[in-house]
Amino acid sequence: MSASAVFILDVKGKPLISRNYKGDVAMSKIEHFMPLLVQREEEGALAPLLSHGQVHFLWTKHSNLYLVATTSKNANASLVYSFLYKTIEVFCEYFKELEEESIRDNFVIVYELLDELMDFGFPQTTDSKILQEYITQQSNKLETGKSRVPPTVTNAVSWRSEGIKYKKNEVFIDVIESVNLLVNANGSVLLSEIVGTIKLKVFLSGMPELRLGLNDRVLFELTGRSKNKSVELEDVKFHQCVRLSRFDNDRTISFIPPDGDFELMSYRLSTQVKPLIWIESVIEKFSHSRVEITVKAKGQFKKQSVANGVEISVPVPSDADSPRFKTSVGSAKYVPERNVVIWSIKSFPGGKEYLMRAHFGLPSVEKEEVEGRPPIGVKFEIPYFTVSGIQVRYMKIIEKSGYQALPWVRYITQSGDYQLRTS
Amino acid sequence: MPYLGSEDVVKELKKALCNPHIQADRLRYRNVIQRVIRYMTQGLDMSGVFMEMVKASATVDIVQKKLVYLYMCTYAPLKPDLALLAINTLCKDCSDPNPMVRGLALRSMCSLRMPGVQEYIQQPILNGLRDKASYVRRVAVLGCAKMHNLHGDSEVDGALVNELYSLLRDQDPIVVVNCLRSLEEILKQEGGVVINKPIAHHLLNRMSKLDQWGQAEVLNFLLRYQPRSEEELFDILNLLDSFLKSSSPGVVMGATKLFLILAKMFPHVQTDVLVRVKGPLLAACSSESRELCFVALCHVRQILHSLPGHFSSHYKKFFCSYSEPHYIKLQKVEVLCELVNDENVQQVLEELRGYCTDVSADFAQAAIFAIGGIARTYTDQCVQILTELLGLRQEHITTVVVQTFRDLVWLCPQCTEAVCQALPGCEENIQDSEGKQALIWLLGVHGERIPNAPYVLEDFVENVKSETFPAVKMELLTALLRLFLSRPAECQDMLGRLLYYCIGPLIPEENKERVQELPDSGALMLVPNRQLTADYFEKTWLSLKVAHQQVLPWRGEFHPDTLQMALQVVNIQTIAMSRAGSRPWKAYLSAQDDTGCLFLTELLLEPGNSEMQISVKQNEARTETLNSFISVLETVIGTIEEIKS
Repeated sequence: MSASAVFILDVKGKPLISRNYKGDVAMSKIEHFMPLLVQREEEGALAPLLSHGQVHFLWTKHSNLYLVATTSKNANASLVYSFLYKTIEVFCEYFKELEEESIRDNFVIVYELLDELMDFGFPQTTDSKILQEYITQQSNKLETGKSRVPPTVTNAVSWRSEGIKYKKNEVFIDVIESVNLLVNANGSVLLSEIVGTIKLKVFLSGMPELRLGLNDRVLFELTGRSKNKSVELEDVKFHQCVRLSRFDNDRTISFIPPDGDFELMSYRLSTQVKPLIWIESVIEKFSHSRVEITVKAKGQFKKQSVANGVEISVPVPSDADSPRFKTSVGSAKYVPERNVVIWSIKSFPGGKEYLMRAHFGLPSVEKEEVEGRPPIGVKFEIPYFTVSGIQVRYMKIIEKSGYQALPWVRYITQSGDYQLRTS
Repeated sequence: MPYLGSEDVVKELKKALCNPHIQADRLRYRNVIQRVIRYMTQGLDMSGVFMEMVKASATVDIVQKKLVYLYMCTYAPLKPDLALLAINTLCKDCSDPNPMVRGLALRSMCSLRMPGVQEYIQQPILNGLRDKASYVRRVAVLGCAKMHNLHGDSEVDGALVNELYSLLRDQDPIVVVNCLRSLEEILKQEGGVVINKPIAHHLLNRMSKLDQWGQAEVLNFLLRYQPRSEEELFDILNLLDSFLKSSSPGVVMGATKLFLILAKMFPHVQTDVLVRVKGPLLAACSSESRELCFVALCHVRQILHSLPGHFSSHYKKFFCSYSEPHYIKLQKVEVLCELVNDENVQQVLEELRGYCTDVSADFAQAAIFAIGGIARTYTDQCVQILTELLGLRQEHITTVVVQTFRDLVWLCPQCTEAVCQALPGCEENIQDSEGKQALIWLLGVHGERIPNAPYVLEDFVENVKSETFPAVKMELLTALLRLFLSRPAECQDMLGRLLYYCIGPLIPEENKERVQELPDSGALMLVPNRQLTADYFEKTWLSLKVAHQQVLPWRGEFHPDTLQMALQVVNIQTIAMSRAGSRPWKAYLSAQDDTGCLFLTELLLEPGNSEMQISVKQNEARTETLNSFISVLETVIGTIEEIKS
């Protein structure tokens, strides 16, 4: 790992705030960052890692800020990026939005946080919930040195502090599946995968032990219930709190949860499923006169389910004008700054088929530069439904005080990177 | 950074800091200190109020303390004498009842980075190592490394090292990991921290208690541990298997690396390991974060280097999406190019063909080069696609296609016929130097198969006066000469004109002298010798002594083919050459002059060095010809270096 220093730069590359952790790379080296970035961008050779002599800059951009870590060693790059994301995450939780303004307004806290997040180039305490216990935002309140160490800093369970209390003990479980789809211009599916996440919102007192039961195929086969409907999960990843050894032994997902929101696990399924919303499009361009677009959308999911907030964005040439639309349902809108028509359908039941026609004028003088061929993008959300068929079978909550807690489960399927190429 | 008006600001702040009324009002006092820090952050020199700030550190307000300590760490190297005054306060804070204060003071004191501070921090660090609060122990452990760095390369304190080794058994996971980090830094001269069996097993058992940073770090240290038996290896792999499923990409990458390296020592385990790491890596390649996706793709490329075809069945995962940033698309194209096999070549080529007409010229060109790479194995299909691309008559496409053709006929002579048929007409769509050079080269070397080759070259000769790139002119001269040999009737006239232009009245006075000198150095006459076999070369090379050695400046990357071609022009044969981009990079060359004297040469680029080492051996010791040979070599390498930059 070992980052030598961390910088937060404004959009022009001027350092807003920086922290020199190790002192083995001169702080002035950051002056080379922006020119290098601009140069590489012009050459078309921009990468998240830029090197100037012996110094390597690992950077990422967030709103109008650049976060840059410098190192002169062969550091583990994915770790440095993870640290930068973590820093962004922590700042976001402190300031709601991380941007130039919020850094300028809160530089004291930024310094305090940078001090605790990393020491000598090594990440230390990075959990924002724990940090919030001893770095508070009420900068006008005086903190006279009361002899208080945040208990979690030394806790055995580093992600949860002791003594949390709620009147009503509840857990909200969100099972969210995103569908990534890439379809070729001739209609063949190139890529189709489901990325699932299980998110928890925990309002529980004390130190509860939770156990989550899913219709996991491997588990069902282990316990001889292979006849029941089950799902084969791939690339399962868990939050740090889950006891991985138990999962490996008997597929039990058991954990002491952090307080509040967190992502418990993610998984992936690459089994081919029928694309949930299928688009057929004809985009006819008559040079110098007009473009005619016909889009047919078909809901290829169960009749009982309904897709909400469907948005189909169809690319149009940037010099198109005078739009005219006709839709069998929903409304179409021309968004000239993105060069797309957005066809919105509030609710789209399964099995239905809808049509949109659009007509644009084209100027008689054609413009010089060639345009790319952006794909058609689709956004949607189908509540009470998972593509994979995953189900939460139970959620057991055990706490030594013996209170009763209620788990609430919600299922949602939504579009991820859902693209259909146009010819 | 001196700023206009900063003196006034310093004066005003100094006054405010000394004002007893402000000092009495804690909030106002803290606000003044905040202003000092704000100016410091903006780059104003605030070292003028050092004394006043030191006084401000004696407070019960932790936030104020933090700010003052931050200030001290920034300016201590500038004001070492004044900083010593602050040490007293810091030492006192190191025994404060509040562990937060103790930790803060110790951390700041170790970060002062000024000479002479070591003697003061030694004791507080030792106390800190035994502190009952883990927060302080964490700071103290890293403090040891900071102290060692301040000392420079002085001898290692054995007692301290032992203390740190014993702290590896600390209860607090971060203390454990910090110990490893600290020991690594202190012992770096001696090869870093030693991971023996007990330590390795202790760390393995603690893994699940560590946070993601600690896990990744420990995985990295475990690389050093070599399992004694296969049984132990499997135990370790099984213990660590779950970390491939970690939600932290850094841990996944760390575990992947460890798995691959552990398996290297037990080759028959390798396939198993590769199967295990495949899933996590593929998942990381479609990670939401661009940077991590980029890192994962780089890993995939590394694995493909040693195991071509490992990801072949997952080729669709590497298809580019419209909105991805450039650097990810370029990596994906490289990956696609490497995992092609008989089953997927059709689909991959179809996908790549789509990229060739992308609106971004850079991306389109990368895709064309990728097709060129695949053409080395699947020549016919690729040449057909490339030929179709020429039909688009787009400048940026044509130039790259022609360059690809040039490289291809060199490696796959069987496609020469198809390439020659595709070439006519492309000259209209080439404007840049690289493309022109490639086209001219092709016309020169294979001109006898291209009916209109002399006429295309004639156009270039006509326009040679307005040609801005010297490299194009060089290429033209060589190509025309070559073509003249095969089609003398059509070329004689224009070759004459070109030669006249090249050495004729257009050469300025000072160059003329050099031109006249040339015949003198012509004592050396390299002849195109029969290609030496590698065996013969090796034998001769080993039997001879180095006659001449020198270094030439050399920067950055280059295409070995270019060098090979350039050397070919002056009749120097390339016997063997490392792959482009590898370090150290080596090439072996041979040449023969008209008297039969052999020149054997080794070119060597060391990693990280910005020069090329040249060693020449000669089978007959003749200094005069040796010098001429070296000057020829220098000229060629110098030219390549120029073209490249």
